[in-house]
Amino acid sequence: MLRILMCAITIALTSTALQAADLEAGKKLFANNCAQCHGPKAQGMASFPSLAGRDASYIQSRLETYRAGERVGANSGLMIPNARNLSDEDIANLSGFISQIGK
Amino acid sequence: MMKKSSYIRYVSAVAASSVLLGLPMSLQAQPAQINQTVFMDGLDKPWDIAFLSDGTMFVTEKCKGLSVRLPDGTVNNLLGMGGTEGYSMTADDLFCHGQAGMNGVALDPDFDSNRTVFVYSASRMGDDPATNRVLRLTVSDDFSSVSDRTDIVENIPYKQAPTDHPFGDAGAHNGGRIRFNPGDGFLYVTTGDNHNSSLPQFGDNLGSKVLRIDRDGKAAPMNADALPDGFDARTYTYGHRNVQGIAFHPKSHQPIITEHGPWHTDEVNALVPGGNSGWDPRPNMAGRGDCPDNYCGYEPNQNDGMDPNERRKYMPMTDYETYPDAMKPLWTNNNYSQGISSAAFLEGEQWGDWNGRLVVSFLGIGFGDTPVGQRINVINLVPEGPEIVDNTEMPLSAGPARFRGLVMGPDGSLYVATDEGQIHRFTAE
Ligand code: HEC
Repeated sequence: MLRILMCAITIALTSTALQAADLEAGKKLFANNCAQCHGPKAQGMASFPSLAGRDASYIQSRLETYRAGERVGANSGLMIPNARNLSDEDIANLSGFISQIGK
Repeated sequence: MMKKSSYIRYVSAVAASSVLLGLPMSLQAQPAQINQTVFMDGLDKPWDIAFLSDGTMFVTEKCKGLSVRLPDGTVNNLLGMGGTEGYSMTADDLFCHGQAGMNGVALDPDFDSNRTVFVYSASRMGDDPATNRVLRLTVSDDFSSVSDRTDIVENIPYKQAPTDHPFGDAGAHNGGRIRFNPGDGFLYVTTGDNHNSSLPQFGDNLGSKVLRIDRDGKAAPMNADALPDGFDARTYTYGHRNVQGIAFHPKSHQPIITEHGPWHTDEVNALVPGGNSGWDPRPNMAGRGDCPDNYCGYEPNQNDGMDPNERRKYMPMTDYETYPDAMKPLWTNNNYSQGISSAAFLEGEQWGDWNGRLVVSFLGIGFGDTPVGQRINVINLVPEGPEIVDNTEMPLSAGPARFRGLVMGPDGSLYVATDEGQIHRFTAE
């Protein structure tokens, strides 16, 4: 019961975030701060993972994890500083933009 | 010789830009126009390029293998790595992980008679630990296949497992550029430190070195004369961090390398036989204590931003205090580390004053507010010796990229492999 409720809340939050996402702002942020590692089409390059095909809630939760300084994979040290100064709004805009690249 | 009309065009362009930009003269001695275009697209992590004089172009893709593009545009897939299809030969032991995979490619100076090509690749044979190898292959007359694989170097260290470092995954600091020196005819092979502090200053292994070998993988005979006792005789220089670029001075044929720095101080080095590049990331020496997984390479503060100058004092790229005779870098990228990846020399009158200049490429990376710096630098070395008189940037009319490998083409253009999956061509007129 509790789990179902939590789920519903997550979905509700995510969809609000999505609706609120300013894709143009997300695009700009991505081009200036992320593309040099993840690639102009988020296709991934060198040690930097592809973000293509990830949905917005996945990207959002990862960015929140890195922002909190928590490690995920072997190269988190490279990603954490890039998330540290992102606002909730930045994260929503980035997640919204990245999740629709190539769609 | 530049034609008169183009000379006038060149002079007026210089005059115009000096009015517009107010730049000092030294920055403007470049051709009238440099066009950057996309020559090939849709490649998968292209890493290195080698040309024949008719424009036939060999290309490595890090996780796929070796291909050749014929002058008419046809592409033949020659040597595939494990899991690939559509190659004339597939080698299941070849694999990619992290920075490792199929890296450098070089053509034998006598290719026309012996049809020989060399590649550098990570390889895992059976249950043995993976290594990097240099492979020699014969290319068929019609460029459709390769045969006669011979592994001329089998034991260049490969990083086996992840460690607690930035870029800490397996396969890290893997070197991988291979080039023949037109001066002495030997093959030079650049390697990396694998985040392993017991490689750079020790001669019992081939990591953190530049090797000088013949086409059979044997040491150049004069290597040993210049090396400390006990060093593997294939070693030319040692004490490097991670060398991904090597080119030879057009007049002196002195090897010039690019070496990735640790959150500070990318280096351009002019090599001398037996030289020590002064990298020694061991813990509990040179004023350092313990370090994560026994490697101080990114200390004192490996996961956070910090003034590169402060980093340099704690963990120098060239440690003169411990190694007073270490080779002094020609250039240290203003103390930044921005992913210095490759080197070549521009050739041809069309480059104007840039003819003969060193070009070095950058992947670009920023950390803790340091600038990313995706670019290609154009460096003027004095002809008699290794000294820099001018350092400027290639104009990027089609924009920056993660520039991985630089090679001069027989048409006088500069070709650049990018991590984005393209080959760019820079043409001067
Ligand atoms: C300096 C290079 C660099 C920059 C710049 C960078 N990243 Fe990353 N990013 C990484 C690396 C490396 C990882 C993998 C980290 C790990 O191993 O945990 C990563 C991981 C991620 C992931 C998780 C991917 C997955 O598959 O789980 C997301 C999402 C992400 N980055 C988004 C961004 C966004 C958005 C930006 C721009 C604000 C950005 N990154 C800027 C290097 C970078």
